[in-house]
Amino acid sequence: MSDGGEGDGEWIRVADLDECPPGSLLEVEAGQELLVLANVDGDVYALENRCSHQDLPLSDGELEGDRLECLYHGARFDVCTGKAMELPAVKPVATYVVELRGRDIFVQI
Amino acid sequence: MPENELVKGLGLDEYQYGFVDDEAHVFRTRPGLDEDIVRQISKHKDEPEWMLEFRLKALKIYERKPMPTWGGDLSDLEATLDEIYFYVKPQDHMERSWDDVPDTIKTTFERLGIPDAEQKLLAGVGAQYESEMVYHSLKEEWSSQGVIFDSIEDGLKNHPELFREHFATIIPAADNKFAALNSAVWSGGSFVYVPRGVELKTPLQAYFRVNQERMGQFERTLIIIDEGAQAHYIEGCTAPVYSTESFHSGVIEIVLKKDARFRYTTIQNWSNNMYNLVTQRAVVNENATMEWLDGNLGSKLTMKYPSCYLMGEGAHGEIMSIAYASDGQHQDTGGKVVHVAPNTTSSIISKSISKGHGRSSYRGLCKVYEGAINARSNVECDALLIDETSRTDTYPYIEIEEKRSSVGHEATVSRVGDAQLFYLMSRGLTQEEAMALIVRGFIEPIAKELPLEYAVELNRLIELEMEGSVG
Amino acid sequence: MSNPSHALEAPIAEEETPSSLDEDAVERVSQGAPSWLSARRKHAWSVFEDTPLPSMRSEEWRYTDVSRVVDFADLQLATHGALAEDGSRPAGLAAAMDEDYAASGHTVLMDGAVVHVDLEPALAEQGVILTSLKSAVHEHGDLLEELLATEVVPPEEGKFEALNAALWTDGVLLYVPANVKLDLPIRATRWVSDPGSAVCTRTLIVAEPGSQVSYVEELLSEDFERRTLVSSAVEVIARDGARVQYVSIQRLGRGTFCQSAQRTLAYRDSTLDTLNVNLGGSVSRLDLNARLLGPGAHSDMLGLYFGDEDQHFDHNTSQDHVAPDTGSDLLYKGALDEHSRAAFRGIIRVHPDAQRTDAYQTNRTLLLSEEARADSLPNLEIEADDVKCSHGASVGQLDSEALFYLLSRGLSQQQAERLVVLGFLGDVMSRLPLGGVVDKVTRAIERKLKSV
Repeated sequence: MSDGGEGDGEWIRVADLDECPPGSLLEVEAGQELLVLANVDGDVYALENRCSHQDLPLSDGELEGDRLECLYHGARFDVCTGKAMELPAVKPVATYVVELRGRDIFVQI
Repeated sequence: MPENELVKGLGLDEYQYGFVDDEAHVFRTRPGLDEDIVRQISKHKDEPEWMLEFRLKALKIYERKPMPTWGGDLSDLEATLDEIYFYVKPQDHMERSWDDVPDTIKTTFERLGIPDAEQKLLAGVGAQYESEMVYHSLKEEWSSQGVIFDSIEDGLKNHPELFREHFATIIPAADNKFAALNSAVWSGGSFVYVPRGVELKTPLQAYFRVNQERMGQFERTLIIIDEGAQAHYIEGCTAPVYSTESFHSGVIEIVLKKDARFRYTTIQNWSNNMYNLVTQRAVVNENATMEWLDGNLGSKLTMKYPSCYLMGEGAHGEIMSIAYASDGQHQDTGGKVVHVAPNTTSSIISKSISKGHGRSSYRGLCKVYEGAINARSNVECDALLIDETSRTDTYPYIEIEEKRSSVGHEATVSRVGDAQLFYLMSRGLTQEEAMALIVRGFIEPIAKELPLEYAVELNRLIELEMEGSVG
Repeated sequence: MSNPSHALEAPIAEEETPSSLDEDAVERVSQGAPSWLSARRKHAWSVFEDTPLPSMRSEEWRYTDVSRVVDFADLQLATHGALAEDGSRPAGLAAAMDEDYAASGHTVLMDGAVVHVDLEPALAEQGVILTSLKSAVHEHGDLLEELLATEVVPPEEGKFEALNAALWTDGVLLYVPANVKLDLPIRATRWVSDPGSAVCTRTLIVAEPGSQVSYVEELLSEDFERRTLVSSAVEVIARDGARVQYVSIQRLGRGTFCQSAQRTLAYRDSTLDTLNVNLGGSVSRLDLNARLLGPGAHSDMLGLYFGDEDQHFDHNTSQDHVAPDTGSDLLYKGALDEHSRAAFRGIIRVHPDAQRTDAYQTNRTLLLSEEARADSLPNLEIEADDVKCSHGASVGQLDSEALFYLLSRGLSQQQAERLVVLGFLGDVMSRLPLGGVVDKVTRAIERKLKSV
């Protein structure tokens, strides 16, 4: 698990862009990891699909701009950095590097 | 009167706040809750658009979230919520002078002892009747130093930036079903700001009174204690005894900046037909100290777990709670401490007494996140059972991710010992006196922290409750 | 060992193709079974199908995301374990059996089948029964019909309990008649060899009034690449005045999910103690419910765990005091190294008539690494007033004073740490002094500590 940028991980195709249109969230599998993709106005971000508050899936939540709000207790994360912006979460969630190759969304694990 | 029979039947005849005033309101929404009611509340408060949007989103969250399946029995609550008034406006304006408060309301608060209290060196007094604060005053000495003690509505109107910076960031609407409900229909409550370095020497006090039958009270309080400032806020809650259920669901958000100190004291003595489901949370920054002193004596069911998020290095959180559950009552209370930063410390001390068919439950969380090096937390829960029909539960969650921390939890359950009773009675005490003495000794470590008039009242209540109790 | 022969019987030569976990598998394991059993399996399967996989949103599974651990569609039902071509035992099994100690009887299970049973002839003459469940179905049908997967661990308890009740392939029946006392323990060695399988077995122990018995089982396997489910249902009944000890030592390899549902019923004046040692497996989940059903009944519930790498232990215990004048005392202690994680969720329930209950519950965990994590949730629900109940939980580091003392006596940091950990865990074993067991567990912990 990395916070991105290390450049030595494996690239895995996780979804087609059509499956995750702007403003939406999508749960995907990448190897052993469960990730959530967030499409912010065409830019796709990938985070570990597990809220740092109670380990519940973030993909059930809602995307508002670049803020992901967890469905279960309202914790908010910055999808670009994974940082917890509002209680009850206080810890970040892991983020992954994403690349668009045509319509294919690739994530580096 | 049927109420009186009920009062007798439940053994609540000692409840001194159970009187009913004539209904006095200038406006109320129809019973039940929908989008239209939320819009009406917002319109009556002449709110900015963002607040209406916030309320409407919260309503959707509330409707989506299931009823909690833990804690107390909420099976009848849904039906109750269809029947209650979510917003009852008692008068047109909030008063700054006690003389201007309408007579009916004034009489009520006089019977509750408010003007008395004000004379007892309080820094400020607020009073909420039904859905609105009807009175707020702050001594000139403090207002001149920049202290704000206002109704939450005036906080939003007069300090929009400070308000919006913190509102619902500590307890988001989605935190839990009742926080969502409060976020949709909130009305009344206090807005408090204590500027940097100001030390309030005497407490701020707020009274909450529900008079209307089938009423829902949803106060919302936001308190900001700036760097190095100190204050103490006390709330007291009472309501008449009706045969139908009423509902109180507050949200209290508190921010303590660096080096601040703050104590929040609650003496909740709602009548035994009240559901009291409250979310209270404080964010505690570097070297600040937050203390919750939580007394739960009344209500049919209380679910309330004041919490401290220890976000800054050296922050300290303390929760002291007393719960008293008699026939028909369930006190599901406790506290949460969340250690995020290094060298944070916390302590939870909980004492509960269950009598007759009463049930008291301690429910708490101690969480230490990775990185909270040298965090230390200690939790002690003691439960006293008076009768064989009484019940007590303990549910402490302990979640530790940091090796360099130390967390302990201990709980004991005991009954009033025959030997102890026998000894006291052999010294000439009646059984009731002996029982009251034992119970007082049991809660003494927390009771001594209470403001004097509350400590006296607590003792009096326990004496009354022990009358006729058999060991 | 009274019986010198360790020889494993060759598995019955029936060709079985691997079977998915489905209705056909239920049919297959039901072949030749009496109708009560087929009906019971069928019912359990329908419960399994109607029960969703436990989610972290449920209180009982708050700390284990089982959806990441088990995928029923990927698993094949384990049947007979395969012996090597020359009929010899797998090395890991042989090694474990080499450190064996004196016993009154011994059973060996390979994957889903009992492959060996021996019992001291004198005990058999006194009416003690130690046999495979598969044969007990025919030889002791009445006993099983009354007790197996009915009141003790019924399928309605949960998803895994239902799976096991529907698809168990074999297991052990131990029956001790009234007033028969066994001096030495009965042992069970369970070896899992089939990666990617679901091994579903059961244990039923019935101790009649006044009898006395200890049962020690050990779970073993190599490390697997493929996720493997080892599911156990353990039912233990101590009738009036009986004394029973049940011990489970879990040393499965990595890649296994060890799921164990245990329930103990203690009747009047009986003593029913359990010790669960969890050292192996990738994920292990224990659901242990002790029911104190008759006045004078007492249960000691002991637990020990030591985690390293990314091991995950989840203990879910309950102490149900139903009758008055009963006692229970739970002590679970563990140490967690590296990325390992342990959760303990325990509850003492004192039912309304259970006056004069004495119930205690303690969970203590040592964190040995920065990345380890411990969750503890000791609960009390008390509905009687004349009780003595307490619980305690703590999570912390090694006792620095003890460490300092040992260092000052010339021990290396590593030696000192090992001694403090062993001392910390040792007081659990001192509460259940079964000679061979203490040695075995101590050795197993030492082996894990060596890699620290």
